[in-house]
Amino acid sequence: AGRVWPEPGGACDAAGRSWAWCRTTRWRRPQPRRDRGRKCGAAASMADEEEDPPFEEDTEEAGGGPDGGQGKRKRLFSKELRCMMYGFGDDQNPYTESVDILEDLVIEFITEMTHKAMSIGRQGRVQVEDIVFLIRKDPRKFARVKDLLTMNEELKRARKAFDEANYGS
Amino acid sequence: GEVNSQEGLELASAETEDSTLQTAAAKKIKIEIKEKKEKKQKVDEDEIQKMQILVSSFSEEQLNRYEMYRRSAFPKAAIKRLVQSITGTSVSQNVVIAMSGISKVFAGEVVEEALDVCEKWGELPPLQPKHMREAVRRLKSRGQIPNSKYKKITFH
Repeated sequence: AGRVWPEPGGACDAAGRSWAWCRTTRWRRPQPRRDRGRKCGAAASMADEEEDPPFEEDTEEAGGGPDGGQGKRKRLFSKELRCMMYGFGDDQNPYTESVDILEDLVIEFITEMTHKAMSIGRQGRVQVEDIVFLIRKDPRKFARVKDLLTMNEELKRARKAFDEANYGS
Repeated sequence: GEVNSQEGLELASAETEDSTLQTAAAKKIKIEIKEKKEKKQKVDEDEIQKMQILVSSFSEEQLNRYEMYRRSAFPKAAIKRLVQSITGTSVSQNVVIAMSGISKVFAGEVVEEALDVCEKWGELPPLQPKHMREAVRRLKSRGQIPNSKYKKITFH
């Protein structure tokens, strides 16, 4: 009950809210997920994303090479990556294989960053300062992190001021 | 805007000096810093205005693409789960924000490079895996892909 299927190809609902991933189905997320453990037995994953690609992927990496071999893991970011690739300049419907390759790359990137962050500063933990340190040589990423964290601080301050203003009335 | 660490150092050293001669120098430094900040703000405002003019001239397709570019993001919950499964400990919200942000920049770098490859080979989007792999190869040779598994050879 309360499950709403997205329209084919849609990444957001009409209100602009993004879809949260369950293991096999997509759920709209009006509230935090409580049902993570529950198996969604019935419905298979939405058919609209399994288009047959009109070409054959190279089979050089039979067993799974460095770039595209982690096929066993469930896809975490398929919908979001599709939107992202379109935003960055790809076709409106990117090839699923390309999306998979990009997802593996992003996960590898996050894994590397996490491991590096764990090995510097306070060992075994990941802190923002470590990430900023690792990024310092890359101007784009550094500027982006700075902007994001600054904006987050401003938003928190604005929200706090708003709540305090409401509390009085 | 914040005072960055270099300005902070200048301010600190300016304030610990005592003689009147150095107080004048300290004042000068403070004025320079203020002017630099005003100039930066003016550049930001120009930048914002230029962006507005550009976006207002977009076609519908360009607007769609721009909207996707701005709005697409990795789900925070999934990123948090991924990082926590690697560290084994919990991470703060700021870490998730930073990690999502740089991951998106990273994805953008790969896609842009792949589009360059695709164009150079005289082909068209949608991007194919061979474009992606060639893009990764090029980014790796420029050191833009972190890889701690490679055995570093100091002298070739």
